[in-house]
Amino acid sequence: MFCRNQTTRATVARCSALEMEIRRGRFRRSVFLETLQDSDIQKKIDHEIRMRDGACKLLAACTQRDQALEASKSLLTCNTRIMAYMSELQRMKEAQVMQRVARRSSEAGPTDDRRPCKGKVAISDLRIPLMWKDTEYFKNKGELHRCAVFCLLQMGGEIHDTDMVMVDRTLTDICFDNTIVFNEASPGFDLRVELYSCSSEEDYSAGSTPRKLASKLSSSLGRSAGKKLRAAVDPGAGSPTGGGATLLLPVPAVAGPKYHLLAHTSLSLAHVQDNFRTHDLITSGNEECTYWVPLYGSVCCRLAAQPDCMNQQMMSGCLKVKLGGDPQSSTNVYGVLKGTNLSCYHRQEDIESNVEPAFTIAINKETRIRASEKDPDSNVQSISISNLYGGEEVTHTVSADSRQETHRWMEAFWQHFYDMSQWKQCCDDLMKIDLPSPRKAALVTSKQGSLYHEMVIDTAGDIGTVTDILTRRMQELELRSQLGTSPPWMSLFAESPGRQRSPRLAGHSPRTPRRLPRSPLSPSRCPRPSLLSSDASLTSDSDSPCSTSPCSRHGGLAEPLSLPSSRFRPRTLSLDAKLSTLRGRGYGGALQCSCQPPTSSLTPIPAQRVSQATLSCSSSTSSNSSSEGRRSPESLDSSPFSRPSSARRSLRSMRAKLDPRNWLQSQV
Amino acid sequence: MSFIPGQPVTAVVQRIEIRKLRQGEHLILGFSIGGGIDQDPGQNPFSEDKSDKGIYVTRVTPGGPAEVAGLMMGDKVMQVNGWDMTMVTHDQARKRLTKKNEDVVRLLVTRKSLEQAVRHSMM
Repeated sequence: MFCRNQTTRATVARCSALEMEIRRGRFRRSVFLETLQDSDIQKKIDHEIRMRDGACKLLAACTQRDQALEASKSLLTCNTRIMAYMSELQRMKEAQVMQRVARRSSEAGPTDDRRPCKGKVAISDLRIPLMWKDTEYFKNKGELHRCAVFCLLQMGGEIHDTDMVMVDRTLTDICFDNTIVFNEASPGFDLRVELYSCSSEEDYSAGSTPRKLASKLSSSLGRSAGKKLRAAVDPGAGSPTGGGATLLLPVPAVAGPKYHLLAHTSLSLAHVQDNFRTHDLITSGNEECTYWVPLYGSVCCRLAAQPDCMNQQMMSGCLKVKLGGDPQSSTNVYGVLKGTNLSCYHRQEDIESNVEPAFTIAINKETRIRASEKDPDSNVQSISISNLYGGEEVTHTVSADSRQETHRWMEAFWQHFYDMSQWKQCCDDLMKIDLPSPRKAALVTSKQGSLYHEMVIDTAGDIGTVTDILTRRMQELELRSQLGTSPPWMSLFAESPGRQRSPRLAGHSPRTPRRLPRSPLSPSRCPRPSLLSSDASLTSDSDSPCSTSPCSRHGGLAEPLSLPSSRFRPRTLSLDAKLSTLRGRGYGGALQCSCQPPTSSLTPIPAQRVSQATLSCSSSTSSNSSSEGRRSPESLDSSPFSRPSSARRSLRSMRAKLDPRNWLQSQV
Repeated sequence: MSFIPGQPVTAVVQRIEIRKLRQGEHLILGFSIGGGIDQDPGQNPFSEDKSDKGIYVTRVTPGGPAEVAGLMMGDKVMQVNGWDMTMVTHDQARKRLTKKNEDVVRLLVTRKSLEQAVRHSMM
């Protein structure tokens, strides 16, 4: 019944109508039979349709605004993908039909069109600056008008979206942290970047489409509809444009937040650079729209491209290489053409074992390659490669074992040169593409993570409450030491170690008695005067009563501090918290400068005393630095790899930073 | 490296790509910076022009990621990952270098020796 013909890829039932039509020469089989590519795209379409159904359902079901925005974003992405796949399918069908038509008219000769190699294109660090009006900044009444934005990046059939970012007037730039890599890019790529936004205060429930209808629409475009669509798009004999062009999938209208296109731009090969560049955005919409966000008008990003010819082996094989015209010095090597080099290894196994190549011949835009005449001895054509090394022309003569090999090498060189001419600046050097690490860095806080927002002071003006809050906070979070924020009085110590901090203490909390410094601490804690490369880090606020607990970041303190309710605790607790965190590090460790806070009720001065004691050893180094003529308290950088400061600010460091007499240095 | 406000600045820069080193939960670069528009520029030992409020590298920890990448003490940082560093406060500069979600920072730095090298090569 079925006729299995070797030339066809699928079977056609004998004596069927289709078979008769084929016999009559009306149709070619390939038109009707599903090609491998078609089924791929069809699978993708089905997948996206399923995703879209899911997004619609989620949108209908969710109650939270954030969820609704995310679902709407997925919906938009799915829709765009479906459109892209459909149009690609359409194009492919058309191409097939055109091919068939061309073949029929039998005009085509062997098309010798060389195709450039594909490559990877990565876009990362997208940043869109905003330009808020000054009235917005100073408008304090009312809540923040927020918009949800995200970027859609489209290249050919590949569509990716970035994460969603909430934008309000406290943001100066919209930053998208995602790195998006497109794998099958050709040099003539067109990367379309679209910015969508949606106001996050709309009333979503006012949907125009009743729910039932919406669900009906979304479900009706399921798998069966997709199949029907494919069959319909399949063009008949005489109509290349087919019915597919008129058949566009209607986007199901669902209630929920709708994103609008705010701006777009197109990037291409000319914009690729191994660096950050700014491009112009074409904005649509104006201030009246609800989804408006005041854009400055440009987008900054890093667009890198890695053509395959730069990071893949384009050709490899055994070669005989002669330097210059000397027939004696021919070497047998295994050559690998990759990037801008022809690397010649002694043996093929050397590549896997990461041995350096015996020598490397540059193959770049300035290289000239010619086929030379046949060698009379071996009757094999050879290839001569000429480069200019610093003004001198160096020629290598390369020959393969057989004619076909030589021809393949020449072909490879031609292709390589063509690739380099197409990819232009991407072939000068291999651009790095950083793939985002799968592990996301733990998000530290919500947006309003500053200390001020968290402090709720019930009894106004009570310093005790404030310090209690600070204590609690420091207990919760692992406060890293504030680097580079030595309080200004540190310089006082640098110059005269014995000076008291009294001028600073005056006028602050009325509860700071000026008692004589007790010395439960000092004897047992003799700081060794071996401060090497590090200086004391002074992390406490200058004006707080017992603020100064400088510590040196080596080694550990004895125990983590327990927390009595003394109001002066927080200052020294921070010291301990820092030191206990540092204990684990194990760097340096040369200095055991212990500044353990006293166990019972603290007075301000003992801490100060301790600081004096420790500072006396550090003053030597700080006086060294100050001897250079600048009063610049060095920040803490004891161990080679000390920590960067945290994002949190504390009151004390703020004050220290704001003092203009310091020339702050921060370790990063 | 002085500049006239309002006029474009040109400088010979070197690109330096530093991969942050992960220490537990922290990412470090291994150098210290000084300067900023909120700092007193007269105290900067590395700047030629004592009114230059840019961000300078004041220390490079030996063996750290910054040293490996080629950063040198005294370099002036012009850009970090596309963000400008010539007109920032000290804290803004620190923040731009210590973003938690970035593993790599790409700096553009300038130094006297670069300008000299270019000048010599042009002679």
